[in-house]
Amino acid sequence: MNCLELKKNKWKQGVGLLFLMALFAFAANAGAATFATSLDRDTITLGESATLSLTFEGGPPQSMPSLPNIANLTVSDNNDFSQNIKMDMVSGQSSVVLTHTLTLIPQQTGKFVIPSLSAEVNGHLLTSQALTLTVLKPTVTSAAAGNPESQLAFMRLIAPKKKFFIGEVFQLEFDLFVNANVGNADDLAIRFSKVGMGLINVDGFRTLNSVAAPVRQVQIGNTPYIEASIITALSPSKTGTLTVNCTNANATLQLPVANSQRDQFFGFGMFRQFQNRQVSLSAAPLSIESLALITNDVPANFNGTVGNYTMNVTAGPTNIAVGDPVTVRVQISGRGDISALALPDQPEWRDLKVFPPTSHTDISDQLGIEGTKTFEQIVTPQNTDVHELPAFSFSFFNPETKTYQTLTQSPVPLAVHSGGASAVPTIAATKTATENLQTPQDILPIKQNLGALTQTTMPLISSPAFLALQSLPVLAWLAAFVWRKRADNLANNPRLQRQRRVAQIIENGLKDLQRFAAENNSDEFFATLFRLLQEQLGERLDCPSSAITESVVDERLASFAVADSLRELFQLCNQARYAPLRTSGELAAVIPQFENVIRELQNSKT
Amino acid sequence: MKRLFQSCLITVFTLIFAGKIMAADVATEFDAANKLYAEGKFTDAATAYEKILDSGKISSALYFNYGNAEFKCGHLGRAIAAYRRVLLLSPRDTEARANLEFARSQIQGATPNSSRWQRWLGALTLNEWTLLAAIALWLTFALLVARQIWPARKMTLRSPTRAVIVCTILICASCGAATAIHFSKQTAVVVAASATARSGPFDDAQTIFTARDGNEFTVSEIHGDWLQVTDASGKTGWLERGQVKVLPAI
Repeated sequence: MNCLELKKNKWKQGVGLLFLMALFAFAANAGAATFATSLDRDTITLGESATLSLTFEGGPPQSMPSLPNIANLTVSDNNDFSQNIKMDMVSGQSSVVLTHTLTLIPQQTGKFVIPSLSAEVNGHLLTSQALTLTVLKPTVTSAAAGNPESQLAFMRLIAPKKKFFIGEVFQLEFDLFVNANVGNADDLAIRFSKVGMGLINVDGFRTLNSVAAPVRQVQIGNTPYIEASIITALSPSKTGTLTVNCTNANATLQLPVANSQRDQFFGFGMFRQFQNRQVSLSAAPLSIESLALITNDVPANFNGTVGNYTMNVTAGPTNIAVGDPVTVRVQISGRGDISALALPDQPEWRDLKVFPPTSHTDISDQLGIEGTKTFEQIVTPQNTDVHELPAFSFSFFNPETKTYQTLTQSPVPLAVHSGGASAVPTIAATKTATENLQTPQDILPIKQNLGALTQTTMPLISSPAFLALQSLPVLAWLAAFVWRKRADNLANNPRLQRQRRVAQIIENGLKDLQRFAAENNSDEFFATLFRLLQEQLGERLDCPSSAITESVVDERLASFAVADSLRELFQLCNQARYAPLRTSGELAAVIPQFENVIRELQNSKT
Repeated sequence: MKRLFQSCLITVFTLIFAGKIMAADVATEFDAANKLYAEGKFTDAATAYEKILDSGKISSALYFNYGNAEFKCGHLGRAIAAYRRVLLLSPRDTEARANLEFARSQIQGATPNSSRWQRWLGALTLNEWTLLAAIALWLTFALLVARQIWPARKMTLRSPTRAVIVCTILICASCGAATAIHFSKQTAVVVAASATARSGPFDDAQTIFTARDGNEFTVSEIHGDWLQVTDASGKTGWLERGQVKVLPAI
């Protein structure tokens, strides 16, 4: 690179940075700045290149950090800046992410350590993590060089190393190279990206996620190739020598026909002619040695987890009654088979009832080998002697250091009181402002008093007896209404009043008559009889009772059927004044006659 | 007659005595279940509470504790159904309401919102509304009867009578509405870990959505062992009866 090119590149960098700084200035709600480096592939073969990305989030760097000279590794700055605005859907915050890429071209096999880089962002000095790039011998390429067909297209399997511990997660790379001059090279590469995973047999491995890398053009020796890669995360599930095999795949290559006249005429290759050639492609099997875990110094609660992890444990509430739940939240983050992580048994938790945990996994990479798994475990103290949640420990085997590591969270103090005297947490229905701010941590404790027992019966409203009972006030009101109407009618009708009063007098008089007859009291008997006849006739004829005489009967009741009987009774009364002595039997015999006359009079219309 | 009276008296005392003995038995079983709960044996406690409930004897405290035990077992749907039962028996039980809200906060999915009118009706049980309406009815007719008996006091009683009649109409209308909702509107609470809502009441009908334990739905139709349900967002599907507990809305 000459001096002029250097100046040109620096000018381009400066313009790019200025533009990005302006973009950052407009980004709203920017959070804390971060700086990270990453490789698109950490294992390549000699002759291939890798891309190093420098990513800034939350602010532009004061100046772009430069990579120090690394022996046998050529760094090419493409001045490739990309930026986008990242929006957090949960918090609604946005931030600008700037990515600058460099191309790394190794000159020999081996491991290249890309040291940590430092950059000043928003006045803070940020440092990235160191990275390792592994460069392998181009064995397949060499083999391909001796085979004319393989020079057109070939496949290969690559693992970063040959020996792994059981349970250790690694990335397997499955590549297809198609000579760039093959007419359908891009189509084959894209098709391989979609279906290539089905060509390999990974018996003995647990397969995690697979991703297809973007199709790209690489230079192997002097030949340009279109490369398609599928990267799969695998983990040996048994010990011994395991083999990754690739089945044969038939492909039709469109090879350009040399010296085509049409091509010569147009000169652009737009109408190039091809001939098809069938080829059978396969990759050399890849042997992996799966090692058993070290048996020395195995922690007591080791449950087979392999990887490299960190842990964070929280627990709450801590002021509880016996039997109340405490939620223990365990977050395990790191690299390994995240989805297979399981919580180990905690023998120290003997005084606690432990319920099966629930979990959710947050994967931070496409292969599913980096991320966080969060466990929520409910534990309940069984007695008031429990004063703390004992220390929580989690052990794993770290394949990088080939040692067991144990992460331990210190004990959490608990205040446990008896169930009956449980402090009442906030009741949601309480409306005071202060209490509404408090969020209940658990359900309220059980009730000690059974309360009033009832039967599971139908509601009152569907009970016929209850409904019938409700008709009583209505009936009472109807009765009172009718009674009132009748009372009002009576009050407004003097004749009706007299009629009822006379009926009452007659009723009482009949009793007197029977008594006088029994006593053989002739005088009183006939006096009463005469008075009763006067009352009844007075009422019928609507005249005073004292005005009723035998002559009145003759005048006004002559047409009545009972007139004769009336006269006879009046005559008996007159005779009794002069001949009062009569027997009880004779007196009693008069009463039916009197009743008959009264009945007739009451039924007659005047 | 005297013998009949004596027989009736003996029957009444026998029933009262038997009731006391039965209540004592239930209280003993209740205390035993509480003890299991305090010992952290929530599954056993839930079974014990359920056994008492299955005998036909219920109380709000019994349902409340059963709900707590089911909650501790992780059966949120059963817990929510139990707390709702408590509120059907004792609508003003703030502890049950607090636990219901807490249990609802632990589940995925929206909780069906009841209207203000429905919340107002839910402030009393259906039996309380019925008794209130009956009392109002009796009071109204007592005043009307008094007006017939003492016509001279008609003017004095006119205003109280009118006020009581208006109140009675309102209370009876509320009672009628509560009755209509009680008998026509039902709520289904999912008690299975997950329940598949289908487009029709058939096993092979298309899946519409999947309901989770504790989700509450409004029941709009019943067809054999299938319930047509609607959630808070308006999604409708058919659920199998065995996967839900069906409760009156109020």
